[in-house]
Amino acid sequence: MSAYVVRRLLGLLPVLAAAIVLTFAANQFVPGDPVTVMLGDQGGNVELEQKLRREYGLDRPLPVQFADYLAKLARGDFGLSFRYPSVPVTQVIRDALWISPSLAAAALVLALPIGISLGIVAALRRNTLADTGIILVLVAGLSIPNFALAAFFVWIFALKLGWAPVAGWTSWRHAVLPVALLAIPAAAYLARLARTFMLEVLQQDYVRTARAKGLPERLVVWRHSLRNVLVPILTVCGVIFGTLITGTVVIETIFNIPGLGRIAIDSIFARDYPVTMAIVMLFTFFYAIINFIVDVLYGIVDPRIRISR
Amino acid sequence: MIGRTAAEAISEGSRLAEFSRLFLANRSAMLGATIVLIAVVVALLSSWLAPTDYARTNMLFVWEPPGDDFVLGTDALGRDVFSRLIVGARVSLTIALSVLAIALTVGTAAGMAAAWNGGWIDSLVMRTADITFAFPELIIAILVAAILGPGILTVIISLSLVSWPGIARIVRALVLTLRGELYIDAAIVCGTPPTQILLRHCLPNIVPALIVRASVGVGFIVMAEATLSFLGLGVQEPLPSWGGMIRDGLTALRTDPHLSLAAGAALGTTIIGFNLLGDGLRDLLDPRIRER
Repeated sequence: MSAYVVRRLLGLLPVLAAAIVLTFAANQFVPGDPVTVMLGDQGGNVELEQKLRREYGLDRPLPVQFADYLAKLARGDFGLSFRYPSVPVTQVIRDALWISPSLAAAALVLALPIGISLGIVAALRRNTLADTGIILVLVAGLSIPNFALAAFFVWIFALKLGWAPVAGWTSWRHAVLPVALLAIPAAAYLARLARTFMLEVLQQDYVRTARAKGLPERLVVWRHSLRNVLVPILTVCGVIFGTLITGTVVIETIFNIPGLGRIAIDSIFARDYPVTMAIVMLFTFFYAIINFIVDVLYGIVDPRIRISR
Repeated sequence: MIGRTAAEAISEGSRLAEFSRLFLANRSAMLGATIVLIAVVVALLSSWLAPTDYARTNMLFVWEPPGDDFVLGTDALGRDVFSRLIVGARVSLTIALSVLAIALTVGTAAGMAAAWNGGWIDSLVMRTADITFAFPELIIAILVAAILGPGILTVIISLSLVSWPGIARIVRALVLTLRGELYIDAAIVCGTPPTQILLRHCLPNIVPALIVRASVGVGFIVMAEATLSFLGLGVQEPLPSWGGMIRDGLTALRTDPHLSLAAGAALGTTIIGFNLLGDGLRDLLDPRIRER
C-alpha cells in the first residue's frame, strides 16, 4: 500500500512541474512591462522605476528569476502583486483561499446523495416513464450552463420570490443559490454514472444468485448492488470536484463572491499576472491533491488497483 | 485497394439502412438532431433571418420591451436583441466547428504518430496529453487569456488545447489494435508508406469513433465558449455571443429578465440538442454499448 501511495505521489510531480514552468513562462510572455504599468503617471521617475525593478526581481537574468520563483514557491510565497504595488500576492488572495474549495465541497456533499439516488431509481425502473423522465432532466441539468441557469434562478428565487439574496457574501443565505447551482450539473453527472453502473451491477451473477435464493429486492439493492456502484462513483469524485472548483469561477463572478475564481478573472483584466498565475497554480494544486486522495481511497477500497497501476 | 465486391456493397448498404432505422427509432436522438438542424439552419441563414443589423446601436430605443418593432426588445445600446440572438448562433457554431476541426486534426495526427512510431514520440504525445488532462479546462483558458488577452483567438486556442488529448488517446488506442490486422501487415509488406497506410487503411476504421467523440464533444465546446464569453474572456463586442448576452442582461435582470433568459434558453437548448444527438450516436455507433 505504501509503495502505491509513493507511486501516486511521484505521479503528481510532472503536473506540478508543468504548472510551475507554464506559469513562469506565461509571466514572460504576457504583453506589456509591469513596471511601466505600475508607474503610471510617474513614468519619468527613474529612481522609483529602479526601486520597483529591484523589488520585483525584474532586473536579474531569467534563470535567476526562475530559481527565485521556485525558492519562493517552496515557502508559499507567490511574489508581489502588480495591481497593488509592493503588496504580496498571498495577501491579495489570503481571505479568498478557502471560499472556492468550500463552495465546491458543499456542492459535492449536496450532489452526491441526490445524484446517486436519482441514478439508482432510474436504473431500477429501467425503460419506464420515470426512467425516461429522469434521463431527460439529467441531460438538461448537464447541458444548461450554470450561468444561464443562474440568471433564471436569480430572477425567480431572488427577485420574484425574494427567498435568497441577489448577490454578496455576508451570511450563509448568500451561499444557498451558488451551492445549489454548482450542485445541479454535478448531481446530474453523478446520477448518469450511478444509473449506468447500477444497470451493469444488476446484470452480475451475484445479483442473480441473491435474487435466486429469495432475498428481498431491498437487500439485493442495498447490500449487494449499492456497494459496487459506490466504488466507481468514488473514482469520479476527483474529476467532479475539479469541475466544481472551476465552476466557482463563474458562480463567484455572478454572485459577487470574493473567492479565488472572481479574483482570477479580475486579475486578468487588471493585468495583475502574479495573482492570475498564483491562482492557476492553486487551482491545479487543489485538483492534483484531490485526485491523489481519490486514487489512494480507491486503492484502499479496491485492492486490485494497488497492484495493476 | 481493389474495388468493393457486390456482397460488401450490399452489407454496407444494409448497415446504413439498419443504422438509420435505429436512429429514427431513437426519439431523444431525433429530438437532438432536430434542435441541431434548426440551430445550424439559423446560423447559416443568420444574415437573412436577422431583422436588423446586430451591431447597429440606436440611442432612441434603449431597453425597449419586446413588441412589434423589436421581437425581443433592445439592449442597453438600443441594439435589436432578436438579431443578436440569431447572429449569436452563427458565432457560437463557427467557433465550435473551428475548435473541433483543429482538435480532430491535431488529435488524430498525434494519436497516429504515437501509435505507429512508439518509442519517444509515443511517450512525448501521451505524457503531454496526461499533463493537459491534469489541468482543469477553465484554468488553461485563463492561462491563455492572460497571455493573449481576451478574444475569439483565445477561445479557439484554449479549447483546442484541452480537446485534442482525448482524441489523440482514442486514435492511438484504435491504431494500436488495427496494427495487428492482416490487411495492415499486407500493406506493410507491399511497401506502402506509413502515411498512406494510416490515412487510407486505418483512418476509415477510426472515423465512426471520431464521429461519436466529436458529436459528444460539440456540446461541451459550445458550453465552454459561452462560459469564456460570459466571463468576458471570449467573443468581444460588438460581435454577439450568447454567453456575453447573458452577462449583459444580468444588470437588467429586475426590469428586463428576457435579455438574459432568451440568450440562456437559446444556449441551453442548443447544448441539449448536441448532447442528445451525441448520446444517440454513441449508443448506435459504439459497439461496446450496442452489444448490451
